[in-house]
Amino acid sequence: MSSEIWVVADIKADGQIRKVTFEVLSEARRKLGGSVCAVLLGSGVSDRASELAGYGAEKIYVVDNPNLRDFNPDGYVKALCELIKKHSPAVVLSGNTAFAEDYIPRVASGVGSGLAMDCVDIGMTDDGRLRIKRYSHSSRAISTQEFNGDGSAMIATVRPNSFKEEGSAGAGQVVNEDAGITDADIRIKVLEMKTKESDRPELTEAERVVSGGRGLASEENFNHIYDLADLLGAAAGATRAAVDAGYCPYDMQVGQTGKAVSPVLYVAVAISGSVQHFSGMGSSKVIVSINKDPEAPIFAKSDYGICGDLFQVLPPLTEELKKALSE
Amino acid sequence: MKIVVFITQTQDTEARIKVGSSGDSIDAEGMKWIMNPYDEFAVEEAIRTKEAYGGEVVLITAGPQRASQALLQGLAMGADSAVHISDEALGETVDSLVISKLVASELGNVEGVDLIFTGMKIIDEESVQVGIQIAEELGIAHLALVSKVIDVKPDEKKLVCQKEIDGGSVSVEVSLPALITCPDAMNEPRYASVPNIMKAKRKPMKTVSLDDVDFGSLGISRDAVGKSGAKIKTVSLEVPEVQRKLRIIKGSDETTVKGDEIAESARELVKLLRDDAKVI
Ligand SMILES: Cc1cc2nc3c(=O)[nH]c(=O)nc-3n(C[C@H](O)[C@H](O)[C@H](O)COP(=O)(O)OP(=O)(O)OC[C@H]3O[C@@H](n4cnc5c(N)ncnc54)[C@H](O)[C@@H]3O)c2cc1C
Ligand SMILES: Cc1cc2nc3c(=O)[nH]c(=O)nc-3n(C[C@H](O)[C@H](O)[C@H](O)COP(=O)(O)OP(=O)(O)OC[C@H]3O[C@@H](n4cnc5c(N)ncnc54)[C@H](O)[C@@H]3O)c2cc1C
Repeated sequence: MSSEIWVVADIKADGQIRKVTFEVLSEARRKLGGSVCAVLLGSGVSDRASELAGYGAEKIYVVDNPNLRDFNPDGYVKALCELIKKHSPAVVLSGNTAFAEDYIPRVASGVGSGLAMDCVDIGMTDDGRLRIKRYSHSSRAISTQEFNGDGSAMIATVRPNSFKEEGSAGAGQVVNEDAGITDADIRIKVLEMKTKESDRPELTEAERVVSGGRGLASEENFNHIYDLADLLGAAAGATRAAVDAGYCPYDMQVGQTGKAVSPVLYVAVAISGSVQHFSGMGSSKVIVSINKDPEAPIFAKSDYGICGDLFQVLPPLTEELKKALSE
Repeated sequence: MKIVVFITQTQDTEARIKVGSSGDSIDAEGMKWIMNPYDEFAVEEAIRTKEAYGGEVVLITAGPQRASQALLQGLAMGADSAVHISDEALGETVDSLVISKLVASELGNVEGVDLIFTGMKIIDEESVQVGIQIAEELGIAHLALVSKVIDVKPDEKKLVCQKEIDGGSVSVEVSLPALITCPDAMNEPRYASVPNIMKAKRKPMKTVSLDDVDFGSLGISRDAVGKSGAKIKTVSLEVPEVQRKLRIIKGSDETTVKGDEIAESARELVKLLRDDAKVI
């Protein structure tokens, strides 16, 4: 086992590196010791390596292969397994994105490693074992867990927005790897990919999130959520009930099934506050809710709130916010 | 078609939970156990596939004796038979890797199996890994977070699904056998009625003891099942009290704000966000 700490870069559909990658690189440098290195996997991604060096990566292992496209997990499983087997890093980290959930567990199986998903804290024991904190039980419990240090790579994914990103120049030595990925490794054939361009920040990365629930009552009314989000520079989210009712697309769902977010400010509009929704936003720093039911469970889980009808409260609230933001 | 669903029993996370005396797990005293909700979607999808294309649905779980209740529920929903890898040690934290090897080994080889469904995660441990690790053990393709099965082509041994990805969705095709992990909202799981639960008791349920498992061929030792052999150990666990400020602005009658109170509440909230919370 080497002493290298690897951070696998998460790439967006537009080819950019996700912020969480820089957060994890920064925290790894602060907390884990050892030589912090990055892993860059994708198709046509090589020229991004220098960005990773800017966050302290000593080495950057690059696999640039046309089979690593379209968020197809097959090639990524092979590539990362091969790299881990060849270099035996002590720790392998990545952001906890939907894509990471789609391939990292298979990598852990492939190399016989323990894996902790969606960690909110990382550190090392004195004898060099990874120690993490993560939520469980629909985010109602938080546990501290330690790897047993059996010599296999210790693998973990980290929840976006858990750590501060902090630039720092690393040696950034690029190590090009082949990993032997061939067409035969690709079992999944992508027929069509639909990604939407949005001017709003991404849910998992946003500092502020405005979400709407079933109480919005229509797709059109969801414009209230988008307007408030845009005013605050926030991402827009939703509950499952709102998604199910067709008021907004699935990728806005926040919660146990949907995305886990931890913004500084979470505004919940006409959301009752189910265990499953709370599971995805309970770690937000400040929670604000607007609900017309004084008994709505969300109030007991909020910092601030207005008990009122959203259609009456949002217009004056928007005006007041505009004033406050322009001051 | 031969369809297999891996299911598990889980703690009801909506129920009251508190930390047990050992300090590293939830108190099992009076705990309510249910079929993992995501596995209900998996069972429902399997039964619908069987109804459309014919065949059989087999359920497999690894868990302590009480886990047979989850199998019974799945059989009552319409599955045909069940396998229970049963041992009390499986009621403790067991590495996902070990669980996936154990349950995959029950299938032996995948020959003859067409489709496998699992839940996307279990709601207590929330490890989010066993499903696709089973696919790795079996050496077959997996499709995670499938929101819709678009087409099953048993004759061509192909499957087309829609799958959610960050910032969009993809439609994908794979050859069978393949494994699908199920989120919620994929379907509306049917209810296991009491008469159907009675009937389910007559459906074949095979119990496998850990003594019957060939651990050597799985590349793990029997000690790996249970706390002491785990690659990741929980050293402490907390159920934090919600600590929030709870400044909820209500109307003068303790219900919704009305009339002039509305504009006033908006001003007050913005002031709180600016001066108290300092988030705008
Ligand atoms: C396995 C499983 C996974 C799940 N995963 C998720 C998940 O990831 N995310 C998720 O969100 N849910 C999830 N759910 C669903 C969850 O249980 C709830 O059903 C859902 O969160 C409720 O959404 P809601 O708050 O919008 O709707 P409701 O519970 O119907 O609440 C609507 C609220 O709006 C208020 N309201 C109505 N009209 C107005 C108005 N005009 N002004 C102000 N307030 C108003 C009402 O008072 C009410 O409190 C899951 C469920 C299961 C079983
Ligand atoms: C006090 C306590 C009691 C526990 N009791 C049980 C128990 O009774 N049964 C149990 O399974 N786990 C139990 N566990 C959890 C166990 O330790 C493992 O965490 C768990 O089996 C692995 O699931 P996961 O969280 O990795 O699942 P995930 O990776 O989140 O699960 C994804 C999917 O994999 C499949 N799957 C997961 N586990 C199994 C399984 N055991 N058999 C078949 N398919 C499976 C399901 O389709 C599931 O939806 C218990 C844990 C504690 C702390």
